[in-house]
Amino acid sequence: MTVVKEAISALVAILVFPGLAFMVISALAFEWLDRVMIARLQGRVGPPWYQPVADLIKLLAKEDILPTGANEAVAAVLPVISLASVLTAALYVPVAGYGVTSFEGDLIVVLFLLSLPALAYFLAGWVSVGVYSMVGGSRSLLQYFSYEVPFLMALATPAIVADSWRIEIIVTRQPTWGVFTMPLGFALAVVGLIGKLKRDPFDIPKASSEVVAGPLTEYSGRKLALWHLTVDVQTVVGILLLVNLFLGGHTSTFVPVAAWISPWLFAGKALLILVLLAAASVLYARLRIDQLANLGWRVLAPLALAQIVVALWMVS
Amino acid sequence: MDRMTIPIGPQHPLLKEPMSFTVTVEGEQVLASTMRMGYVHRGIEKLAESRNYRQVVHLVERICGICSHVHTTTFCDAVETLLGLEVPPRAWYIRALLCELERIHSHLLWLGVLAKNVGYDTVFMYSWRDREIVLDMMEELSGGRVSHAVNIIGGVRVDLDVEQARSMLERLPLLEEKVDGALHLVETERTLRARTQGVGYLSPEQIRAYCVVGPVARASGVDVDMRRDAPCAPYDELGVDVQMHTAGDVWARAVVRVRETRESLRLCRLILENLPAGATEVRAPRRVPAGEAVTRWEAPRGEVLYYVRSDGSDTPSRLKVRTPTLTTLITLPDQLRGVALADVTVVLSGVDLCIACADR
Repeated sequence: MTVVKEAISALVAILVFPGLAFMVISALAFEWLDRVMIARLQGRVGPPWYQPVADLIKLLAKEDILPTGANEAVAAVLPVISLASVLTAALYVPVAGYGVTSFEGDLIVVLFLLSLPALAYFLAGWVSVGVYSMVGGSRSLLQYFSYEVPFLMALATPAIVADSWRIEIIVTRQPTWGVFTMPLGFALAVVGLIGKLKRDPFDIPKASSEVVAGPLTEYSGRKLALWHLTVDVQTVVGILLLVNLFLGGHTSTFVPVAAWISPWLFAGKALLILVLLAAASVLYARLRIDQLANLGWRVLAPLALAQIVVALWMVS
Repeated sequence: MDRMTIPIGPQHPLLKEPMSFTVTVEGEQVLASTMRMGYVHRGIEKLAESRNYRQVVHLVERICGICSHVHTTTFCDAVETLLGLEVPPRAWYIRALLCELERIHSHLLWLGVLAKNVGYDTVFMYSWRDREIVLDMMEELSGGRVSHAVNIIGGVRVDLDVEQARSMLERLPLLEEKVDGALHLVETERTLRARTQGVGYLSPEQIRAYCVVGPVARASGVDVDMRRDAPCAPYDELGVDVQMHTAGDVWARAVVRVRETRESLRLCRLILENLPAGATEVRAPRRVPAGEAVTRWEAPRGEVLYYVRSDGSDTPSRLKVRTPTLTTLITLPDQLRGVALADVTVVLSGVDLCIACADR
C-alpha cells in the first residue's frame, strides 16, 4: 500500500503541484500579468485575464501548415522538445520550498534544460526554409552566445557562496538574501534572463520590423501554440530560479514570518522580478545584434567575472 | 555566410503601405537594394482631366491619407491664381491652421512609427496617444479626423467661432508639454540614440543632387522650407522659425521633426490668437481662364508642387503633382548600402515614406 501511496503522491507532484498543471497555469497567469503591466505602463488597458488561455486554445484549433521543402518531422519535434525540457527543468526548481525532486548538482541540470529551447529555436529557423526564419535563427544563436556566459556566471555565484549546486540547499543557506550580498550578480542574472527569454529590448531574433517573426515566421497552429507555451513556462521557471537563488526562496531575511505567509512571500518575490522584466521592456529600444554582442562580452562578462572573484573572496 | 536576398514588402510588418524592396545581404550586412513602387497608383492625375475643378479638390484630397489638407490647399491656390481670386485672409488663416495641425499629427505619427520599428513600443503608444489631441481638434474644426474637405476654390467651407478657438488654445499647453517630453526623450535616450545615430547619413551635396526636400534635407543642413521660401499668407506675417540640424542621420531627422512639431504648435497659437475677422470664402466661377499656374506649399514631408493647366473650360487639361516622398525614395539605395540588416528598418522609417503620395 505504501508503494501505491508513494506512486500516487509522486504522480500528483509531477502532474499537479508543483509540476505540469501548476506550471502551465502560472505560466498563463504570468503572461497575463506581464501584458497588463506593460499595457498600463504604456497608457493602454491591456487584455482580460482569460486572453492567454483564449490565444492558446485558438492556436491549438487552427490549421497547421508549413511551407514546401520544410522538414515536417523535425519542425514538429522541436517545440515538443523545448516544452518538455522547460517542464522538466521546472521539476527541480522548488516552488515555495516544495520541489518534486532534487539532488546535488540539479542547478546545472536546470541550466542545461533551460538552454535546450535556444538550440531548438535556432533549428526551427533552419528547418522552416524561409529567409526571415534563417536570419532570425542565426541571430538567435549569436544572441545565445552573448547572454549565456554572463548568465551562467551570475547564477554560479550563489552556488559558490552556498558551497552547493543543489537549489534546495542554496535557498536555505542564505542568512541574508543573495540580492543584498551579490547585487551585481542579481542584476546580471536579470539581464541574462531577458536575453534568454528574448524579451524587449533583446527581442532581436524575432524583431517584427526586421525579420517578421524570426525563426517562428513559418510556424502556425499547434506547433506555434507549443512554442508560445514554452516561452511562458520558461519565463516562470527562470523567474522562480532567480527567486530561489537570489531572493531566498520562501524564506525571509531580517524578520521571521509565520509559516502561512512564506508561500505568499515567495509569490511576491516572483512578481517583483516580473515587474523588473516588464519595466525593462517598456523602458528601452531594441538593440542591434552587434550592440548586444558588445554589451555581452565587453560589459556583462567582465562584470560577471568580477562578481565570481568577489564571491570566492567572500567564501574564503 | 552565403548571400541572401530578403524581400521587404509589398506586405511586411515594417511597411504601412505597399512598396517592395529587395535587399541582398551577406550575413547581416546589406550589399545592395532595389525597389519597386506603383502598388497604390490610382491614376489621379489622369482622372482629374475628366472632373470639374470643384470635384478635383475632393479628388486630390485622396492622394494622401495623412497630409490630405495640404494637397487641396496647394491645388486651390493654383486654381485661385488662374482665376485671379482674392481669397479673404480669414480663409488663409484657417487653411494654415489645419496645415499646422496636420504637420503635428503627421510628425507625431512618424515618431510613433520610428519608435515601433526600433522596438520602442512605449514611445509609439505615447506619441499616438498625444496625437489624439490634434485629431480631436481637427475633427471639431472640419468634422473629419484625416480627410477634412475644408478647402473649396475661393476659400474654406468651415469657420471657427470664439468658443472653439478658446477651447483649442486651452488644449495647446498640454500638447506642448507632451512634445517637449518627446524632444527630451529623442535627444537624450541612450538606446534610441544608439539605434538611430550614424544611420542613413546623407551629405548636403547628396541632398542637393537628389533634390531632397523637407525635414530630411533640413536634418542634413540644407535650409529649405516653403513656408518661408515661397511666402504666402499667413506665414509671411507669422514668421516661421526653420528647424535645422547638421548631423544628417536618422537621429537628426527625428530631432528636426520633433522641434518642427513644437514650432507648429507655436504657429497654431499665433494663428488662433490673431485670427482676422471677415468672410471665409469668395464666390468662384465654374470656368477657369486658359493659362498655367504652379504653386508650392510645405507639406509635413517637404515641398509639394502643383502644376495646373487650363484650356478655359471647367476641367483642368493637365494636372501634375510632385510630392516630396518621390525624391527621398531615390536616395534609399545610397542610404541602404553597407548598413546592417537591422538598420534597414531604421533607414526606411527615418525618411518618412508616404507611398500613396509617391504613387498617386
